[in-house]
Amino acid sequence: MNKQQQQSIWWRLHIDWPLLLGLVVLCGVGSFILYSASGESMAMLNRQLVRVFFAFVVMFVMAQISPDVYARWALPLFLVGLIMLVMVLVFGHVGKGAQRWLDLGVVRFQPSEIMKVAVPLMVASYISKHSLPPKFTVLLVGAAIAIAPTLLIARQPDLGTSLLVAASGIFVLFLAGMSWALVAAAAAAIAALLPVLWYFFMHDYQRQRVLTLLNPERDPLNTGYHIIQSKISIGSGGLSGKGWLQGTQSQLDFLPERHTDFIFAVFAEEFGYIGVILLLALYLYIIARGLLIAIQAQTAFGRLIAGSLTLTFFVYVFVNIGMVSGLLPVVGVPLPLISYGGTSIVTLMAGFGVLMSVHTHKRLYAQ
Amino acid sequence: MNKRSKKPQLLISWRFTLVAVVVFSVFMALVVRTAYIQVWAPERLVHEGDLRSVRTMSNFVERGVITDRNGRELAVSVPVRAIYADPKRVHEQNGLDKLEAWHALADVLETDSEKLLNKVKDPKRRFVYLKRQVSPAIAGYIEKLKIPGVYLKAESRRFYPTGEVSAHLVGFTNIDGAGQEGVEQSYNHWLSAEAGKRQVRKDRAGRVIEDLDVLSKSKDSNDIVLSIDQRLQAIAYKELKKAVADNQATAGSVVVIDIQTGEVLAMANSPSFNPNDRKQFKGFLFRNRAITDAFEPGSVFKPFTVLTALEKGVVDDETMLNTSPGYMNIGGRRVRDSRNYGTIDLTTVIQKSSNVATSQLALKVGVNSMIDTFYRLGFGNDAGLGLVGESAGQVPQRSRWSDFELATLSFGYGVMATPLQIAHAYATVGSAGFAKPISILKVDKAEKGKQVFNSQNTKALLEMMESVTLEGGTGRKAAVEGYRIAGKTGTSRKAIRGGYGDDYVAIFAGVAPLTNPRLAIVVTVDEPQGDTYYGGSVSGPVFSKVMEAGLHFLNVAPDADVKQWVQLEELADARS
Repeated sequence: MNKQQQQSIWWRLHIDWPLLLGLVVLCGVGSFILYSASGESMAMLNRQLVRVFFAFVVMFVMAQISPDVYARWALPLFLVGLIMLVMVLVFGHVGKGAQRWLDLGVVRFQPSEIMKVAVPLMVASYISKHSLPPKFTVLLVGAAIAIAPTLLIARQPDLGTSLLVAASGIFVLFLAGMSWALVAAAAAAIAALLPVLWYFFMHDYQRQRVLTLLNPERDPLNTGYHIIQSKISIGSGGLSGKGWLQGTQSQLDFLPERHTDFIFAVFAEEFGYIGVILLLALYLYIIARGLLIAIQAQTAFGRLIAGSLTLTFFVYVFVNIGMVSGLLPVVGVPLPLISYGGTSIVTLMAGFGVLMSVHTHKRLYAQ
Repeated sequence: MNKRSKKPQLLISWRFTLVAVVVFSVFMALVVRTAYIQVWAPERLVHEGDLRSVRTMSNFVERGVITDRNGRELAVSVPVRAIYADPKRVHEQNGLDKLEAWHALADVLETDSEKLLNKVKDPKRRFVYLKRQVSPAIAGYIEKLKIPGVYLKAESRRFYPTGEVSAHLVGFTNIDGAGQEGVEQSYNHWLSAEAGKRQVRKDRAGRVIEDLDVLSKSKDSNDIVLSIDQRLQAIAYKELKKAVADNQATAGSVVVIDIQTGEVLAMANSPSFNPNDRKQFKGFLFRNRAITDAFEPGSVFKPFTVLTALEKGVVDDETMLNTSPGYMNIGGRRVRDSRNYGTIDLTTVIQKSSNVATSQLALKVGVNSMIDTFYRLGFGNDAGLGLVGESAGQVPQRSRWSDFELATLSFGYGVMATPLQIAHAYATVGSAGFAKPISILKVDKAEKGKQVFNSQNTKALLEMMESVTLEGGTGRKAAVEGYRIAGKTGTSRKAIRGGYGDDYVAIFAGVAPLTNPRLAIVVTVDEPQGDTYYGGSVSGPVFSKVMEAGLHFLNVAPDADVKQWVQLEELADARS
């Protein structure tokens, strides 16, 4: 009875408490790792905590908005994002060799981040307006909606984000009931496109990264350095790890980008395999909860958007950990909710806000 | 919900199941992957990690200080820096682009910038010295140039404050701090410190983060306190250098031994060298002639012949020897005196340095007694200072001796000795027949030594030897006012191939004060070219000056005019 009541409080707040619990625990763990990975920098941790707090506020606000509103506002949001992406290419701010930032005077932010939410919303709202499973033409338009921003982002160049944006759109198409023949055809098309991508679209450094993945020792001082150092960090953690703040590879500055993309290596070195298993379990729990929300969704739009956002989150985790542990090439994808950096946390939490909205607004419909 | 959406929902659930399976499999893949890295194969990665962070370091240690007996520094280490380059880093960090800086570096190192650039030409090399032992001021300047790949490291440079005065004795080190000559070489192990090695963990910037292990403990260096009295050493060197120059001699040595303790208080040679200026180094200058050069000592051995005769009881202080007509034929060879001294007592034998008389004594005691005396005095063995290059001299050993050979032995030919050995022998005579070990290190507690001669005989011998510096003696210039000296001159011909040449070694050896001998001093001057080449006139004055200074430094009471002392006491008595 009491539980029921408590649940109803959460319902009224439009918060899915099992998901919230997972996110809070993850952000808590993330703060501890970041403190260690930043070289015990309290200032860095404080900045990150402010961002996390802001991200939770965004999530809470997003959760209040009904999925119907999202469906309606998907198109304008998508168009604004698209315009911004073009603007970035024309007069964006260059940082670290890539043109990703748009300076709005007060804040600098990456429009590509908006697309991580806008693309699945747009594709889902478009597809759900038609009958399911979608017809071929509908799928084609859906694919076009996803691919346009993907190409723009890839031009920046930001391979990691463009991959995530493309994935978020494709997940919607897949979940909407794309026929298996088409899935196979698309897979074949991508496979056929890879050489074209390799020779005509990829930058030299991106090619290097792929080659390095296949054999990191071919260039241990430059492109292979990240992967080798990262594997060494993870490996030297062993089963039980070296203890918090005790990781030598990471603390001694041998590990590059240790507080951003390679923070997983810091975690693995200091907390060992046991810690890694627990962290993976935590991610799996959040993803499982997201998929459950998607399955329980009452509308096609809700189901598609929830599934897509959850799977995007999953791709984040997989690509980052796969990259850090040497399974995938080095693409700039942060470890979600743990890596230092503001924009990705805010977009991710916004996505979880949408997820909660999908979950907590359905009974109101029922009533 | 209508019927149309029911079928798709099933379809979608099915897809979600597939998605769940894929997600789960991917997570399992990550679990397996990290398990492989962390649990199956971490050793290699841990090892790789250590390769990147574990380094062996050695600390900086300094060589010990050499001081004289009063704590005056004879050899010290001063901190300097070595400039070295890592050509690989120079090339990697485009260090060669800063040509201005390289020119400045070449300027300050007083070298050609082309030579300097040549040294760092090979981008595969990892280490090359650009210049060693650079003073801190220049090092500071070079640091400010900030040339990539050029580094400094601490090292030390040996400095010898006393310069040429004690150069032979103290010796010097090479650029890596290893002793090359003298005490620096002989006591190298004692003086040198060994840097300890420890294993540390360093971060990427090369800062030490963690001490892991001590691989080898550092060995601290030890200081050395020599027996030398630098004040006396300075006077000995100054007087010797003057005598060598005045007599146009090739070389000379002075050895001063404290008879009570066996310590060497001074040991100087000329010509010398400045150990602080390597540019002027020449091999022959390095020799510490006082211990390395053995020669036939000549007449300074005559007192030993007399002593042997006294020991054997074949003579006493009343014995008279007939030296007429001033020469003596032995086995077809002739032994000469410089003139006919007639019938003389033992004191006169020593005072006039009669070859004929000592030959007679030698023939009386026999060769074995002579050789025995030499060994008792320490000849034929090195003096035991522990210095590298010490010569043992030579005491001949043969089964058959001709009488002439025995006769020449009596006046110091056919036997070889170093100045140090002669000084040691005189010290033994001076200490009432007690042979004490001698030392170049300061002695805290003097050994009594082993008695090798009868005290009565050595005292009698010293009384006889006093006549040498008195009126009518050969060594009057060796006299020291206020003190009674027992000494002996020697002017020995130098052996050359096939006989004896026209060059001499002028020697004066002696002890003082006679009533209670404290110092034994030997002065040799090699090949004096002046009008006089006699030991008394060439080496005697050096002996006198050094002996006087030594006795003053040691605060030894004068014993020349004991009556005067008595008179003073009587005066005091009378006053009261």
